[in-house]
Amino acid sequence: MDTMLFTGRSIWTMIHGIVLGGGALMALAAALFSLYAMRSATASDVTSQNQARYLAQLMVLTAVLLWLTVLIGTYINFPPYRATPPEGLTDLARYPRSLIRSSPGTEWLHSFAMETKEHVPWIAAMLATAVAAVSVRYRSQLLSDRPLNSMAMTLVSICLVLVSFASILGVFVNKVAPLE
Amino acid sequence: MTIDVGRPEEGNGAALASFLAAGIGAFATGAIVLLNEAGLFVSPTLYEPAGGVSGRTTLAALIWLIAWAVLHNRWKHRQVESRRVYAITLMLIGIGVLFCFPPVWKLV
Repeated sequence: MDTMLFTGRSIWTMIHGIVLGGGALMALAAALFSLYAMRSATASDVTSQNQARYLAQLMVLTAVLLWLTVLIGTYINFPPYRATPPEGLTDLARYPRSLIRSSPGTEWLHSFAMETKEHVPWIAAMLATAVAAVSVRYRSQLLSDRPLNSMAMTLVSICLVLVSFASILGVFVNKVAPLE
Repeated sequence: MTIDVGRPEEGNGAALASFLAAGIGAFATGAIVLLNEAGLFVSPTLYEPAGGVSGRTTLAALIWLIAWAVLHNRWKHRQVESRRVYAITLMLIGIGVLFCFPPVWKLV
């Protein structure tokens, strides 16, 4: 008998958390390293121009990955998570929010973890988009202008922390009550 | 060989507009969430299966985009004093993120 290895819901969870969210985390780390390692006093040489172009592409990719992560998370993964089970149902495996809230030991996974995850990643997506826009418009100036570079690094760092935090909370939620 | 150097002749206005708008968007996100939790403002639900989060985040994103458009139009050709804008941006982000944390809601 054939059994499905993954359900559609679990595949969307993997796309949201591993492919897009994980991709965004790696891209953010790479962008942060690039902003630091590629900064230079001169922006006129060909090497700097190329590095600035790659950085701009990387930041645009990061922003796109983050927006896809939050949009899929909010509109595809979240609805089945918060679905209300029928009256009297005792097996809550297909209703993660209700399953989590049914036990005092796991209730925080909704009241803290999921409630935080609902909004914080949107802030991260806005920050990444801002840095992406600046990296496209200013190109090598982002590497040669020290205040601009520092602010971009600060925003990417904040973004990395927020996305890491949301990701680890997502792992906890999915460990206890996966979307299946 | 042509080298794309961006727009080096420009001031920093467009960059600062982009950063400050992100700060405003972050603050808007947190403020909407906090007001919602305090029962002072309920944003409309745009997609019923997702619940109120769809309205709250869409509203915050709209505020962010409008702030960005306005600031960009005002600053795009200007050289703006950056230190104060950076400080305000970071403050707005900090407050916005803080307001998104459930333990803070209990203090309201």
